[in-house]
Amino acid sequence: MQAIKRKKQKEKIIEGFFLICAFVAVVSVLAITAFVFYNGLKPFISNSYPLWDFLTGVEWRPGSNLYGIFYMIVGSVYATFGAILIGVPVAILTAVYISEMASSRIGKKIRFAVELLAGIPSVLYGVFGLGIVVPYVLNISPMAQGESLLATILVLAIMILPTVVSISETSISAVPKEYREGSYALGASKIQTIFKVVVPAARSGIMTGVILGIGRAIGETMAVMLVCGNPIAGIPTSLFDQIRPLTTNIALEMGYASGVHQELLYSTGVVLFIFIMIINLAVNKLIKAKVGS
Amino acid sequence: MGRTAKDSLVKGIIYLATGITLSVLLSIVGFIFVKGISLVNWDFLTRDYNEKVVYAFMESGDVPLSIDEENLNNKQPYDQRYETLLEGPIYVENIGAAISKVSYKNHSTEREQIVISYIEKDSPLNGAIDSTGKAIIIGTDYILQSINGTDFSDMTLEEVSKTISAESGELKIKVVQPGGGIKSNIITTLYMVLLSLIVALPLGIFGAIYLTEYAKPGRLVNAIRFAAECLAGIPSIIFGLFGMAFFVVAMNLQISLISGSLTVAIILLPVIIRSTEEALKTVPMAFREGSLALGATKLQTIFKVVLPCAVPGIATAVLLSIGRVVGESAALLLTAGTVAQIPGTLFSPGSTLTVQAYYVAKEEGNIELACAIGIVIIVIVIVLNILSRITSDKLDVFNKK
Repeated sequence: MQAIKRKKQKEKIIEGFFLICAFVAVVSVLAITAFVFYNGLKPFISNSYPLWDFLTGVEWRPGSNLYGIFYMIVGSVYATFGAILIGVPVAILTAVYISEMASSRIGKKIRFAVELLAGIPSVLYGVFGLGIVVPYVLNISPMAQGESLLATILVLAIMILPTVVSISETSISAVPKEYREGSYALGASKIQTIFKVVVPAARSGIMTGVILGIGRAIGETMAVMLVCGNPIAGIPTSLFDQIRPLTTNIALEMGYASGVHQELLYSTGVVLFIFIMIINLAVNKLIKAKVGS
Repeated sequence: MGRTAKDSLVKGIIYLATGITLSVLLSIVGFIFVKGISLVNWDFLTRDYNEKVVYAFMESGDVPLSIDEENLNNKQPYDQRYETLLEGPIYVENIGAAISKVSYKNHSTEREQIVISYIEKDSPLNGAIDSTGKAIIIGTDYILQSINGTDFSDMTLEEVSKTISAESGELKIKVVQPGGGIKSNIITTLYMVLLSLIVALPLGIFGAIYLTEYAKPGRLVNAIRFAAECLAGIPSIIFGLFGMAFFVVAMNLQISLISGSLTVAIILLPVIIRSTEEALKTVPMAFREGSLALGATKLQTIFKVVLPCAVPGIATAVLLSIGRVVGESAALLLTAGTVAQIPGTLFSPGSTLTVQAYYVAKEEGNIELACAIGIVIIVIVIVLNILSRITSDKLDVFNKK
């Protein structure tokens, strides 16, 4: 009896240990949120910098104590929106080709290529952007430099391709065969079937892919840092203007900032974090809705 | 427009889109290989990034040249990526080596220097020691700067060879070990992979065991799943911010290998939890029931039956994680730094390959070098990709049986 009891106790203890391990993820999320928000909200609570000026300012000049991020928010949103506008149609059509039109052998090969594209570290996209996209933009740009909103949009559009392709492709492949057969039986052509039946049926999966793509684009740092120009002021008004997204602001200056300057970089992180949380919640909702239907 | 015409048009657009996706991939990989390949060689992989000055001590010798003049001239001593030969080579008997004068030019520096272009087998240089008595290696391509206090700058090659020949007995030579390589970055990357896996792997695997084998559906499990999803969605710069605030500052670990690897470990958690969970789920319920029916405890069942069956899945998780660490840059930029050195301790900084690629592209504007590093990274990524394909196939095979 004693032995069995001890064995049971041991099992309980180890189960507890497993639970703790699983709980590390929860603790990490809480700690990340707490640390970023604590540091980021400090300057506004202690009144060392007014929140309103921070959110609406269009100049970031640590030297003259000016820390406005409105032009960065605009830059981030423009860049993300542009990337989605270009990247998503290409990605969805590629996904359609892979799952509906390609033979399984070719489909497999393209899938491998897309996976490879997903595995290339973002820095290398940036190096590519700096070596190819920026000089190209410079050629057609009226400005003196190629680092611009346009270059950022193009690099980001490339970077979201693998995410959107692979998730859309999975959900398009998951559409039951009967849907297609039904559509053919009604006399629809292959293309009509794809765009009137299959793609709408896979809508929520494709949306999830798009939103994850948005998340990737808005959170991207290293690639963007190399091609965006990082100006210290100014709302972008044309595609050839330089931008300074929220992410690069943090990465550029965190290394040497201190005091209020450093805290306001955390605040920049908080704003980015809020964007990401909204995106995460949207994904979660979509996935739940899909399970529900 | 007729239906067929419209259909073919749409088909054309679909082909075009797929073509764009594929050509983008090709042009990125192609660009990096074309730009960088001329820099990738053995020296590039085995040298430090920074030049290092060394004082070498040795006994002068009298070693005759064992190869003929023409052969000596044919030795390609200098690093042709950056150096062009100006004078030489001249063979100097008392150090048993030939020296040449080259002009060195890379993206940021331009100078003339004396380099060692050939070393005899019995050369005193091969027995050189440093000031502490430790043996040091002097190879061809090392830069000679002075001997017994006589500086070589402003001297012609002829003068240098005469100066060296005039010395005898104990020689003290100042040499510069050439830089431009990525050895330190490769080693830092390896350390980073190992350390972060040591932390994240047990946590992730045990966490996944809890979720699949123990947890009953409910709030707790939902919270854990939601947290893992959140972690997967947080951009790496935010992890960097957290790592900076928590590991670097609050725990006072400084910008170091350990801060970087702990930060990356958190990034890896969702990857490992998810793939381990998937792997555990593929193990048929009957296996567990059979084990339990034989009188094994739940724990024994997990460690002796379930986990061994899930090994290919866990191997996939490890491979994915390695890929993640190799590709990680924003978080490491803030927590492990950009110093291209082999970290001496857990608490010294070091830059991984990706961070180094960023650094040379951004701070030095040297795209060729960034691409050369990119080639190494892409090769690693491709190898990992193929390996993970093999391991996940193994899991499928097991499942079909």
